[in-house]
Amino acid sequence: MNCGVFREMIGSYVDETLEEESRLWFRSHLRECQTCREAALREEPSLLFAAAPETPTEPESIEACAAAVTARIRQDRLEHHLHRRRRPWMAAAAATIMVVGGGLAWRVTIGGGEGNLPPAIEISRDLEAQTSPPTVEVEMNGEDVRVYQFATDGDSDTAVYFIVDPALEL
Amino acid sequence: MVRENLCVLLAGFSSRDEVVMNDLQWIQSAKKGDEDAYAELVRRHSAGLHRAVARILADDTEAWDVVQMAFLKAWQKLDRYDSRYSFTTWLYRIGTNLAIDLLRSRTSRERAHKAGTEHRLRLVGNGEGAGLRAESQEADGILRQLVGVLTPQQRSAFVLREMEGLETAEVADVLGCSATTVRNHIFQARKALRRELKARFPEYLPVSERG
Repeated sequence: MNCGVFREMIGSYVDETLEEESRLWFRSHLRECQTCREAALREEPSLLFAAAPETPTEPESIEACAAAVTARIRQDRLEHHLHRRRRPWMAAAAATIMVVGGGLAWRVTIGGGEGNLPPAIEISRDLEAQTSPPTVEVEMNGEDVRVYQFATDGDSDTAVYFIVDPALEL
Repeated sequence: MVRENLCVLLAGFSSRDEVVMNDLQWIQSAKKGDEDAYAELVRRHSAGLHRAVARILADDTEAWDVVQMAFLKAWQKLDRYDSRYSFTTWLYRIGTNLAIDLLRSRTSRERAHKAGTEHRLRLVGNGEGAGLRAESQEADGILRQLVGVLTPQQRSAFVLREMEGLETAEVADVLGCSATTVRNHIFQARKALRRELKARFPEYLPVSERG
């Protein structure tokens, strides 16, 4: 009896005119009854795709996805945190460069100096080196190199963690 | 018989409601910044999302990248998630949009090359679930070779409705279009797939139509 009802429904299923409950039953029967599946495919070959059973996904793939997403969320959070801490340093460095560079430019143009622009650049570089903490470049897996800046000696709140893969030791 | 079918349907609905209830609890924790709660949501939904995206893209590996991107995007926008709507539908919307963007960025030449290569290299494997995998991969393998004739929207609508079994209204929500447009996409997709099956896989046609 089920099979008779099923075969009468094929046209309505294809035309998208079945109620959702009937549609669910139709799909379930299509997967379970081989005789009806063959009859349905003879009538409408594209039902082959509705008849495909759900493939079980490997648990390892799901776990790897969850781990990758969580790691990325933590990475983004750390980057955001570091970026916030780095902001005052960048502002201070930019202000120093502007003050020193601006002063020297003023001396060159207004003060009648003899074109001291190259030394001004050197001075600003030296000052920047003195005021900015060192940076470290980290090559990410399959991504670009990311640059992180260390905190100053006086900044005891910031800790930097490295995760070391022993297999990559040089 | 009717009662049996009704029981099956009701059981399906109650288990779905339960998933939604639990999802809401995990989402509440995740909104407060609990990464482990969010990881639980990833575990619950990544398999379904991956299956749909892999069928839309015709590429299993690339689909995992899209799934990860979708979950990251969802995490970043979690505050905007409205719990009156299904988390699955919201997630499918993000994932499907990413997949459609990716499809549009590919050239047709890349698509054709990839589809052909993947089908030939695919292995069914042994062990538990191998029979199910074989049947499913037969349909997936054919779809991989045929989806190139469909537009990204037709592909997405057909996969979500016909293969994943979403309701028309849910597909419309995912794709951001009307139910009528979804029906039209499915009608056009079915027509194109029937034509391609006839030309490339005549063994799936009734003997009278093989020519």
